[in-house]
Amino acid sequence: MSKQAELEDIHLKHDLLGSIEVGILILDREFNVHLWNQFMENHSGLTPKMVKEKCLFDLFEEIDKDWFKKKCNPVFELRSPAFIIWEQRPHLFKFNAYRPITSQSQDMFQNVTIFPLTSLSGEVEQICVVIYDVTLEAVSKQRFKAANAQLKKISRTDGLTGLFNRRYWEEMCELEFKRAKRTEQFSSLIILDIDHFKKVNDTYGHPAGDLVIKTLAKIIRTAIRETDIAGRYGGEEYTIILPDTDVKNARMVAERIRRLAEAFPVEYEGQEINFTISLGIAMFDMSFENYTAWIDRADKGLYEAKEGGRNQSVMMT
Amino acid sequence: MTISVLICDDSGFARKQMARSIPKGWDVDISYAENGQEALDLIKQGKGEVLFLDLNMPVLDGYETMQCIQQQELPSMVIVVSGDVQPEARARMMKMGALDFIQKPIDKDKLFDILKQYGLYSGDKGNDSPAFEKPTEATERLDAYKEMANVAMGRAGEKLAKLLGVFVNLPIPNVNEIASTELHMAIAEVHEKESISAISQGFVSPGINGEALLIFDDANVKSMAKLLKYGEENLNTQLELEVLMDISNILVGACLTALSEQIHVKLNINHPIVLGRHTDLKQLLSTNVNRWNKITAIEIAYAIEGSDVHFDLMLLFPDSSMENILDKLVNVVE
Repeated sequence: MSKQAELEDIHLKHDLLGSIEVGILILDREFNVHLWNQFMENHSGLTPKMVKEKCLFDLFEEIDKDWFKKKCNPVFELRSPAFIIWEQRPHLFKFNAYRPITSQSQDMFQNVTIFPLTSLSGEVEQICVVIYDVTLEAVSKQRFKAANAQLKKISRTDGLTGLFNRRYWEEMCELEFKRAKRTEQFSSLIILDIDHFKKVNDTYGHPAGDLVIKTLAKIIRTAIRETDIAGRYGGEEYTIILPDTDVKNARMVAERIRRLAEAFPVEYEGQEINFTISLGIAMFDMSFENYTAWIDRADKGLYEAKEGGRNQSVMMT
Repeated sequence: MTISVLICDDSGFARKQMARSIPKGWDVDISYAENGQEALDLIKQGKGEVLFLDLNMPVLDGYETMQCIQQQELPSMVIVVSGDVQPEARARMMKMGALDFIQKPIDKDKLFDILKQYGLYSGDKGNDSPAFEKPTEATERLDAYKEMANVAMGRAGEKLAKLLGVFVNLPIPNVNEIASTELHMAIAEVHEKESISAISQGFVSPGINGEALLIFDDANVKSMAKLLKYGEENLNTQLELEVLMDISNILVGACLTALSEQIHVKLNINHPIVLGRHTDLKQLLSTNVNRWNKITAIEIAYAIEGSDVHFDLMLLFPDSSMENILDKLVNVVE
C-alpha cells in the first residue's frame, strides 16, 4: 500500500469508528482501556486520552466490578462471546438518554456484547465491548408491560365493588379446585346474598341498592383473610374461596361477615338502610367432579339459610 | 497383511466420513456397526482388530462397549472418535484401555499420526477418496444434520463443563423436519414441564440463517445458580435471568462456533431475547411462532451429571438454510 493509500485507509477507519452510533471499547485482562470511540467519549465526557491505559473500574465506579468480571471471564477463558441484555441490568455505563427533552427515560438503556480479540500469537489478551443504545425498545416494552398489567387488572375486576368479577373468580375457583384435588388439603367456599334486596331497590331506589352492594363488598374485604379470594358472583350475590380452611373456620369468617352486615346500616341521603345477609358454606370434597359441584353444594346451604328464616349461615357437611 | 477395521457410529454420515478419512494405502477390510452391540458381535467374528468407536449411541454406547471389550478381553485396539470432547470423557475412555481419542470432525493428519505412532500404518498419507454424494433421501439428510449437531453439541458441552466444573451428559440429538407451527411436537424433553423460561438468539451468514432457542425448566434454575456460584439463597427473578443468560451465552456461542467451523462460514449472532418467563411451552410457542414455514429442528437435551439440572437447546433452521448447509457439509468433508 502506498503511503497515501495507507493514510486514507486510516482516515476512513477513524471516520467509521467515530461516526457509528454504538459504543466501542477494548479492554485487557486488567480491565485497562485500550480503545475508546467517539460514542463513548460523547456520552461519558471522557476523551480517549483521559481513559487510555486506565482501569475501567476506577473510571466508572457505578460498574459492579465483580459482576462485570464474571461476565467477561468466559470471554477470556473460553473464547465465548457474552451478551448482556437490558433486562439483566438496564445499563453498563450510566449515560443520559439520547433525547434530553422528549425521551421517556432519563437514562440510556443498553445491550452489551463482549467478544474476544485474538492476538497474533493466538492468545486472548483483549476483549472488545460494544454498547448498543436500546432505550426506545426498553421503554416501549416497559410501557407495553404496564399497559398489559393494567388491562389484566381491569378485566378481572368488577367495576362497582372492586372485587373480582365472576369470570375471573370462577377461573380462580377452578384452580383452587384442582389444587385441593391434587394436594388433598382443606378448602372451603362461601356463597352469600343480601336478604330481600329487591325491597331495598324498590323502597330507596337503585342508587341506594348500589350503595348497599358496595358497602357489603367493603365488609367482605375487611372480614376475610389475605389469602381468601372474594368475587361478585351476580347482582347481589358474592362468593369467597378460603384455601387451607376447614368448614368450621370458614363458618367463623361467614359469621363475621354476617354480623358486620347486620351491625352497620348503610346511610343514604339521611336515611338508614338496614340489611342482612344469608350464607351457605361448603368444604371441598374429593367426590366433587368439578368446581361447579362445589359451588352447587354451597348454594344448597344458602337455600337452606333462606328457608330457615334468613340472616344466618348454613354449613353443608 | 490385511487388517480388519471396524467403524462403529450410529450416524451413517459419520461412518462415511470416517471411512473416507482412512489412508488409501492402508490395507484394510472395513466393516460397519451402528451401535456397540453390533460392534461387539463383529469383533468376536474377528472383524474389528482396530475399532473406531463413537461415544453417544443408542442400544450400547461407547462407554459400555469399551467396558465389555475390557472385561471380556476382546482382541480390539480402540480409537475413540467422538464429538464429546470433555477431558473427562477422554479420561474415562483412556482409563478403560482406549488407545487414543480423536475429536470429530475427524482430522486426517491427526489420524495418520496416531496410526503411525502405534505402528498400524506408516505408508503414504494420501487418500483422495471419491467425492461425497449429496444425500437425497430425507433420512440421509437428517442423519447428516444429526452428526453436525452432534459435533456442535460436544463442543458446547465441553465449554459448559469447563465453566461449571462438572461433567455434562450428552444425549443423541433429535432432528426433525417439521412445520414451525408444530414446533412443540419436536420438543420432547420439556414437554411436560409446568413452568419454563426461554431465550432466543438469531444468527446469520450469507444464505444461512436460523435461531437458537434455549429452554429452561424453572424448577431447576436454583440448582443452576448454585453451579454458577451465585448465592442461591438470594435467588430472585433478576438473578434468575443472569443464570439463564450465562448458560445461554456459553451454549449458544460454542454451539454456533462449532457449527460454523464445520461448514466453514462465519455466523453473526444477534442479541438474545427473552422469549418468555415462567410460562408453559404451549403458550410460549403459540405467542411467538406465528409464521408457517418448513423448518429443521435440532433438539439437544443437555443434562449435568450428579445434579437435576437439564435444559434443551433447539437449533431451528428454515428450509432454505438447510439446503445451503447440506451443500457446505458435503463439500467441506473431504
